[in-house]
Amino acid sequence: MVSKKHISITVNGEAKETEVEPRMLLAHFLREVVGLTGTHIGCDTTNCGACTVIMDGKAVKSCTILAVQANGKKVMTIEGLSKGREKLHPVQQSFVDKHGLQCGYCTSGMILTSYWLLKNRKNVTDEEIRAAISGNLCRCTGYDNIVESIKDASKKMEEEGDPIEEHPEIKVRA
Amino acid sequence: MNPPAFEYFAPTGIDEVIDILAKYPGEAKILAGGQSLIPLLKARISSIPYLVSLSEVKGLSYVDEGKEGVRIGAMTVDSDIENSELIRKKFPVLHDATEQLADPLVRNVGTIGGNLSHADPANDLPAVMIALDARISVQGRNGLREIKARDFFLDTFTTALEAEEVLTEVTIPFWGKRSGGAYVKFKKNTWNFSVAAVAVQLELEGNKCTRANIATTSVSAKSGRMESAEKILAGKELTHEVISKAASEVAASAQPTSDPYGTEDYKREILKRITREAIRKALSRAGEN
Amino acid sequence: MELSEKLVRGEGRFVDDIQMPGMLYLGFARSQYARAKILKISGAQLTHKEVNFEVVEVGEGATTGGPAALSHPVLANGHVGYVGQPVAAVYSDDRYVAEDLIDSVEIEYEPMKAIVDPEDSLKREVMYPGVKSNAIVDRYFGKEFTPDPSDIVIERKIINRRIATNPIEPRGIVAAYDGHKLTVWVSTQSAHSIKGGLSEALKMEPDRIRVVQVDTGGAFGLKGGLFPEYVVACYLAMKERRPVKWIETRREHLLASRPGRGVVANLKLYAKKDGTITGLKGEVIVDNGAFTGGSGEFSPMFIARQLAGAYYLPNAYVRAVSVLTNKAPQGPYRGAGRPEAMYFIERLMDGLADKLKMDPVALRLINAAKETYTSPLGMQVEKSRQFLESAIKELNYEKYRDRENVGFAFLILYHATAGGESARIKVENGRLKVWTGGNAHGQRHDIFIKTLLKEELGVPEDIVDVLKGDTDQLEDGVGAWGSRSSMVLSSAVIVAAGKIKEQIGKKHGKYTLKALLEGKWDEYEFFKYDKTESSLGANLVTVDMDSYGRVIVKECLSYYDIGRILDLDNAKGQNAGGAVQGIGQTLSEELAFDEDGLPLITSISDAGVLSADLVPKFGIKFHKSESPLPSKAKGIGEAPTIGVPIALSRAIEKATGKLIVETPIRPEYLLPEEKA
Repeated sequence: MVSKKHISITVNGEAKETEVEPRMLLAHFLREVVGLTGTHIGCDTTNCGACTVIMDGKAVKSCTILAVQANGKKVMTIEGLSKGREKLHPVQQSFVDKHGLQCGYCTSGMILTSYWLLKNRKNVTDEEIRAAISGNLCRCTGYDNIVESIKDASKKMEEEGDPIEEHPEIKVRA
Repeated sequence: MNPPAFEYFAPTGIDEVIDILAKYPGEAKILAGGQSLIPLLKARISSIPYLVSLSEVKGLSYVDEGKEGVRIGAMTVDSDIENSELIRKKFPVLHDATEQLADPLVRNVGTIGGNLSHADPANDLPAVMIALDARISVQGRNGLREIKARDFFLDTFTTALEAEEVLTEVTIPFWGKRSGGAYVKFKKNTWNFSVAAVAVQLELEGNKCTRANIATTSVSAKSGRMESAEKILAGKELTHEVISKAASEVAASAQPTSDPYGTEDYKREILKRITREAIRKALSRAGEN
Repeated sequence: MELSEKLVRGEGRFVDDIQMPGMLYLGFARSQYARAKILKISGAQLTHKEVNFEVVEVGEGATTGGPAALSHPVLANGHVGYVGQPVAAVYSDDRYVAEDLIDSVEIEYEPMKAIVDPEDSLKREVMYPGVKSNAIVDRYFGKEFTPDPSDIVIERKIINRRIATNPIEPRGIVAAYDGHKLTVWVSTQSAHSIKGGLSEALKMEPDRIRVVQVDTGGAFGLKGGLFPEYVVACYLAMKERRPVKWIETRREHLLASRPGRGVVANLKLYAKKDGTITGLKGEVIVDNGAFTGGSGEFSPMFIARQLAGAYYLPNAYVRAVSVLTNKAPQGPYRGAGRPEAMYFIERLMDGLADKLKMDPVALRLINAAKETYTSPLGMQVEKSRQFLESAIKELNYEKYRDRENVGFAFLILYHATAGGESARIKVENGRLKVWTGGNAHGQRHDIFIKTLLKEELGVPEDIVDVLKGDTDQLEDGVGAWGSRSSMVLSSAVIVAAGKIKEQIGKKHGKYTLKALLEGKWDEYEFFKYDKTESSLGANLVTVDMDSYGRVIVKECLSYYDIGRILDLDNAKGQNAGGAVQGIGQTLSEELAFDEDGLPLITSISDAGVLSADLVPKFGIKFHKSESPLPSKAKGIGEAPTIGVPIALSRAIEKATGKLIVETPIRPEYLLPEEKA
């Protein structure tokens, strides 16, 4: 019998401490232990990005990280973007406004990758956006409306700022 | 697709890592970023009884400029190398490779140490390190030793690492002033790995090439140097003809096999063309310096 | 909360999000061989001995059912017909342990020589004892004719290889049983199809089954169907009296879901020297897979019948065949026969243009139907010449005519309007609830349903809740596929709203919003519609080729007749999404097999699903000729998967000078020769 490991992960600003089997994927920890089902699983082979979360300031694929590897780290899921606020986060609002989602399954990952991109770059070009989301697959939208959403979000973030303060570790670059 | 069960250790010091490796010889494996290893476990292609994670060992993530070269810590993630101005300026061949490695999110987790230790001939960084004459520092029971990158990759998924050794650092020596490199990767559509890729690093003196290193990805059982092709370049002015000859030699001496990525002939043909492109690019970068 | 807002907050409810106390996770041990006898199974919890049901066809490809010997057993019955076929089932209350149990199942096989190539299948021994031929469908359409000996003939073998549907959310189901009623939560295009299929497979009275659609993360034709795994999940839920969950892995999806395309055509097109086409002969062969239960009994006929394209074709005689192969059953994939048929006729038209040294669009204009007529193959072809003239103008074809990198497609899209659709509107406590028979899986029906209700009843969008499919809330329904929902689903909503309006008028003298919201109303409408409608479309694509033969799609423009536009963003999204799939089919998407029938594709990326950096920004213009339905709209969903492969293939043919007769076009084929 494999021994369980004690882990403590800060999820959306709250410390989650528990014992887990070492083989448990971070995506399953978030979905089934913490109960945040906005993180989706799509491909099993680290291709689709439906499971994207922000870990210590970087967008990562939570289906290819063990929960035990995230011990001591800060994780933000899609639920963390507008946690405790009625208003949507600017990136979420742009996806609504610009029809950046259809079935909604890839959406959590797309939004978090976009958030990570926009925290790191201003004045993003179409080409930069498409490169940044190249690890997030969408089968519905053909990407056009997603690219428009991200451009709109870039503007909104510029104007309204980022309401999230829990992630000072993401350095903003010009 | 979820991994089979395994025991997990996350020591905080390298000595402890080595102790655990030594305790379970052949059964324990290092977990770095996990971007290659975890997919293998999930697909249940590999089963590993003991995983030793480096995630809690501090001080293994850095890109530092020293006197004779740049030192990169084993746990430095690909995107930190990709975003390093120092790397972009000094070693564009490495910048090229990290920029094209997997996708941006994988690059945020995948590490240089993992990429090299995994020794997948389809991984990008082995060829780059061989081309750059990098040295790989490994730590084991008997202390620290350095292995030349060119001697590190023994076979598919096999390196010169002993069972109780762990890769801790990569040192890339500075090249002469008029040097430059390029990594050209040919991918088929959306497929995960390349059909072929090639790393070229050159140094010039006057209009002659004084030093040339060429190494390939995806076209042999292991990433290795293409010495016969390097000899064609060394000491010569890199004319169109010389470049073509060297590229043809790379294609001829590679050992690709037919698989869903392409037939053997197709891979050789692609390799020939990307090698020409890579030499030209490296030459032009070296010339700019 | 509005659906978009829920989804961007991560508060959607997809099938794998459902957690219930005592839930069991189901897993399947699957065949490693394409064709083999099973000698022994050990370590399994469920096998065919206990779970001896068969899967019936439901959804878009539904027919009356084929020979009983060919039905898909939910768990293999003594033999296997494709790699990935479910052989035995295991379960546990932990999903990781369920997967460990799969590894502990041992199956002994006696392998047999697989039948992989569909044309080869017609020459090989029969796949099953007692079956007369490997052709499970073999029919002729049109009438034999004698071509004029002076006619020009274009002869081609054209292939559309198999593609996985690859919705980003895989298949999945949760089943629970209370001793009387079976409740199923499922990712689907049609709750009613699943209900009907389960009732038949499990031999249960329909009123003991409730099917609830959860948020469905893409489907593209796949999720209209019932699958072996779903039947096993239901059986186990009833046996154990515990909720059971099965979630497909991507690998299972690539091996054992229902891939689309997989069609070979051997065709001859006859024409006069002035370019007027005179006839079409040949055969269409569908790679059916090893069992019925997909769409292979239906697709060859549907393809053959559409082969006139949007042209006037006076003579035609076409054989439609579906053959057994050692692969998973073919299923509908976005277009489901439409893209294949149009690709075949359009490739022949481009070939004819080249032979006659004519401009391909000018050739199309000569042959476009001047009047609506019924082709010899049986489909009604609407008059198309005027549309083509406006397409040439709107797509600015004159500007591109002489370029060496342009392709043009002319298409007719047959909407699956026949059968109609249902809707229910319930008004209570000042809010409206709407259920429809066609269950959205990425089309965002909620957006246009709200627009329509605003128009019909004057209700603001924020008091309308568009709910997912639920067979307990809606008596009957069809499904969301075949570019039908903007036509029949929207019409059902309009008619149901009209009925409520009429009732209020009767009761209150006239309709007012106040009367609507203060009252209690509940109206169900099954909007009957028996006709197959159609619409026309055109695409223009330009490409650049790099020195390695890689294709860079520069421009990809659509001009489609979608009648009344119900929602512009929605229409644009449908176009771009379909266009990426069209590019995928042409350049990268393929489920390849080796000669032993072993699949070569193991990830969604190797299967060719394109990322954002590999596709252009898309353009679309609309032709608006209203449909005769109450919604006045016409479908769009499948138009780009029909038109884009045609135009893109032609653009590549022009740019490379290489004949294009296969999708995907393999990079090896496009590698340009180098001068020595």
